[in-house]
Amino acid sequence: MRRTNWLAALLIAPLLLLILGSFLVPVGLTLFRAVQDREVAQALPETSAILAAWDGQGLPPEAAFAAVARELGAALEARRIGDVAQRMNFARTGMRSTLLRTARAAERLRAPYAASLVALDARWGQAETWLLLRSAGGPVTSLYLLRAMDFTQTPDGGVVQAPTDERLYRTLFLRTFGISLLVTAICVLLAYPVAYTIARLRAPWSSIALTLVLIPFWSSVLVRTTAWFVLLQREGPVNGALLGMGLLEAPAQVIGTRIAVVLALVHVLLPFAILPMHSVMTRLDATYLRAAASLGANGMQRFLRVWLPLSLPGVLAGGAMVFLLAVGMYTAPALVGGDRDQMVAWFIANFLNRDVNWGMAAALSAYLLAMTGAIVALARILTGGMVGARG
Amino acid sequence: MREHPLARILLRGATALVLLFLLAPMVAVVVLSFSPTELMVLPPGGFSLRWYEDFLTAGRWVLATRNSFVVAIATTLLATLLGTMAAIGLQLGRFRGKAVLVTLLTLPMVTPYIVTAAAMFFAYAIIGLTGSLLGLVLAHTVVAVPFVVVAVLATLQTFDANLLRAAASLGAPPMLALLRVMVPNIWPGIAAGAVFAFATSLDEFVITLFMAGPGQFTLPRQMYASVRESLTPTILAAATLLFLCSLLFLLASEVLRLRAARKLRA
Amino acid sequence: MSEILVSFRDVTKSYDGRVPVVAALNLDVHRGEFLTLLGPSGSGKTTTLMMLAGFEDPSSGSIALEGTRIDTVPPHRRGIGVVFQNYALFPHMTVAQNLAFPLSIRRLPKAEIAARIARALEMVRLPAFGDRKPSQLSGGQQQRVALARALIFEPKLVLLDEPLGALDKQLREELQAEIRHIHARLGVTMVYVTHDQAEALTLSDRIAIFHEGRIQQIDTPEAVYERPANPFVAGFIGESNRLTVQVVDTTRLRLEDGSLLATLPHALPPGTAALVSIRPERVVIGAQGPGNAVVEEVVYLGDHCRLRLAHAGRADFIAKLPRQDAMAVPTPGTRITIGIPADAVTVFPAG
Ligand SMILES: Nc1ncnc2c1ncn2[C@@H]1O[C@H](COP(=O)(O)OP(=O)(O)OP(=O)(O)O)[C@@H](O)[C@H]1O
Ligand SMILES: [Mg+2]
Repeated sequence: MRRTNWLAALLIAPLLLLILGSFLVPVGLTLFRAVQDREVAQALPETSAILAAWDGQGLPPEAAFAAVARELGAALEARRIGDVAQRMNFARTGMRSTLLRTARAAERLRAPYAASLVALDARWGQAETWLLLRSAGGPVTSLYLLRAMDFTQTPDGGVVQAPTDERLYRTLFLRTFGISLLVTAICVLLAYPVAYTIARLRAPWSSIALTLVLIPFWSSVLVRTTAWFVLLQREGPVNGALLGMGLLEAPAQVIGTRIAVVLALVHVLLPFAILPMHSVMTRLDATYLRAAASLGANGMQRFLRVWLPLSLPGVLAGGAMVFLLAVGMYTAPALVGGDRDQMVAWFIANFLNRDVNWGMAAALSAYLLAMTGAIVALARILTGGMVGARG
Repeated sequence: MREHPLARILLRGATALVLLFLLAPMVAVVVLSFSPTELMVLPPGGFSLRWYEDFLTAGRWVLATRNSFVVAIATTLLATLLGTMAAIGLQLGRFRGKAVLVTLLTLPMVTPYIVTAAAMFFAYAIIGLTGSLLGLVLAHTVVAVPFVVVAVLATLQTFDANLLRAAASLGAPPMLALLRVMVPNIWPGIAAGAVFAFATSLDEFVITLFMAGPGQFTLPRQMYASVRESLTPTILAAATLLFLCSLLFLLASEVLRLRAARKLRA
Repeated sequence: MSEILVSFRDVTKSYDGRVPVVAALNLDVHRGEFLTLLGPSGSGKTTTLMMLAGFEDPSSGSIALEGTRIDTVPPHRRGIGVVFQNYALFPHMTVAQNLAFPLSIRRLPKAEIAARIARALEMVRLPAFGDRKPSQLSGGQQQRVALARALIFEPKLVLLDEPLGALDKQLREELQAEIRHIHARLGVTMVYVTHDQAEALTLSDRIAIFHEGRIQQIDTPEAVYERPANPFVAGFIGESNRLTVQVVDTTRLRLEDGSLLATLPHALPPGTAALVSIRPERVVIGAQGPGNAVVEEVVYLGDHCRLRLAHAGRADFIAKLPRQDAMAVPTPGTRITIGIPADAVTVFPAG
């Protein structure tokens, strides 16, 4: 027994190490970046220390002015000024130029620094600037998590709504949730009759129909989305056909609209709804229906009181799967959607690639992960089974 | 129990329409890829292989194909080996918390790819694995391996544990018993997992987008880039070839499923 | 017997349009009786039952319930209770909900439903099990619930398709007794399918023996056992010695070894070949000594001994020796005399 366990441990260990090192720890680190705050403390250690001891009343002592001028200059030398500027600019727009200007002028500044800094940039004369610097001293911040829900922190630590022009994430999550819900509803509604019919078809036909569902299931998401991209072009076949039939006067611009996103998502995710429903339904014993009929139930009663409740686990599994995949989907909206149809994944990608704002990417990831975790947990509770994913 | 005839006609009609919706785009892409002109209209008004020729002679497509297959093959080997070992270990072991372990090992399956991508991008950047094919293989292995674990675990449910006891009673040490008795009995599950791993790697796009270096285009990444750049039928030729691969995967997985079912009955 | 409840008239059923699974079936079910359909596997019993319940349509012929044809009546309007072989209890409902199902369909008042469920559970001796799910019951308990569910809406007719097939012997016998009691108490008509002949003999008022889609004989248990209508029935029910003989006259037959066998008068023409069937327990074992049989093998079975004898030119003639008298059990090799009473010989035309 003990030796078997050793063998088992030996067999599991390599994969566990890979998953730990290449997935669990990275995901954990990433999530930690949603609250981590070290740019300012690293680049401006002395300033941070002085500000930490400051009582927050009025302006900080002269030493703080001196330290910030010196350390900003040093950060410019060490090419670390970009991180600090980005971090502070995210807290308050306009801070970037203040910090960069001060860094470049650092050599020329002379004591008393309080006066010369304010002369260089009026912001240094405002208490808020210093409070912001102090609150960025680390080691952790709720800035990103708050911002990802359209809240922001006042310099004295209170939580308020973000400025109107910077509020977009709640809308983004609602949009992601709404599109996913719509896609899930459409998929479930389309999948149920298909799964039912296939499960009830006779021998060769049921396998043939199932194969027709498996073909899109096995083909790549990108290939299928590309197909829609081609079909929905202004000069593409769909427009061509609709114009030819006289249903349209002029070609419609579908690419870049919400319709294209929903269409592509439904197409990509529909097999994931059909297959679990089908597998539950084929395992349903037809004698349940016979029993119901022998007890007096008519067709509708048989469906509503026996078939539907028995096939519900398949519906839940399929629906949960589609929702799960839709919520995290990047490819389809990125390819066929417009700027206003993008979902959370696209924003995460942008924060990583374009803005290089790790904090926001991590905060959005954390919320997305929480959302999918809730769905998986709910589905597991409701179905008592496995819910997996692909795509 | 038969449905009302009208209900049956409606159900079958709806099913046919949905299947048409699922398959029509793929068919259109295949047909358009043989178009003799740049215009993507149906019917294409001719037949030509020029876009396939273009695909096979354009350096970036060839390179992307090579990269894709190198990564997919390496991923399949690694994922199948590690996944099978872990599944067998999970089946053999008698310890608490097994369910938690299975959940941990299959977590990449339910994690949004964008989150996995972000996490790996960040972690691999620290140890300098981004932009290397090795990093890409490791990343793909992480998302492909849960399918191997699940497939092998499923086949193991049907494996009679007494066979291992018999092997032991005949003098086979544990490792030998696993290799000579268990693996030959569960290979359809292992192979099914391998097919899924290969397909996952070949199709994977989001993680590749972040992890691969500037020159390391795979087929999906090249397709995405080309679509954004300018839409040419060469993309459709690539899509058709990928589609062909997925048909092969489907065929392989069905053959394996039948094999497994027959083994079970025997 | 009394009034006819169900009648099959020239019913034929074929699934593939060629091979008939049920052929030219004519069968009357009397009101209140317990009729068993007995036959080997694949003989068309389930098919017959399913046609009656309405789950399969006859290829030709007609089925009438209380005098009216029901061919076009859908199953849920036939009001026939069915107990399925694998129980078919709805897994998503509790026992009580399963029992309530047919009643709520018929829109019975709530109080009435509750009362009937209580009575039904009492009847199958599961009063405390209403809140369990079917998966939390043993096989025998599930079977009882299935029976209760088929009876609870008071159908005129209940069909049971091998309801005890999946249970072990002891439980089967226990439930047989219960089914018999319920039938006697409720007076409901039951059509019961089994391929267990002991079960058929125990339970039935009448037994219909099926073979290759045709009824071979339909009669009381005693009649099918004692007076089988043809060699198939004789061979299928109970054990029997089957010998080919030559007809001498209306009361005598010649065995293969030339010896004569007396029978009750029969109508076969002299000189033709015939087949006889003799039940082993009707063979009279006589005294030891220079007799007409040699004991080849003795098997001790508790209440009786089974002897394999060499008799009339055969070495597989079976006789049963009840353990009532103090007579010593013969040992293999001894010669004995056996006698066969004329009324123990059933004669069939050969072929
Ligand atoms: N749905 C069906 N389709 C085609 N053939 C069928 C079907 N159901 C039964 N059969 C065939 O009809 C014949 C009679 O079947 P049936 O089920 O009536 O036999 P049975 O007497 O109930 O046998 P058993 O004792 O094994 O249950 C069998 O040869 C069977 O193979
Ligand atoms: Mg049967």
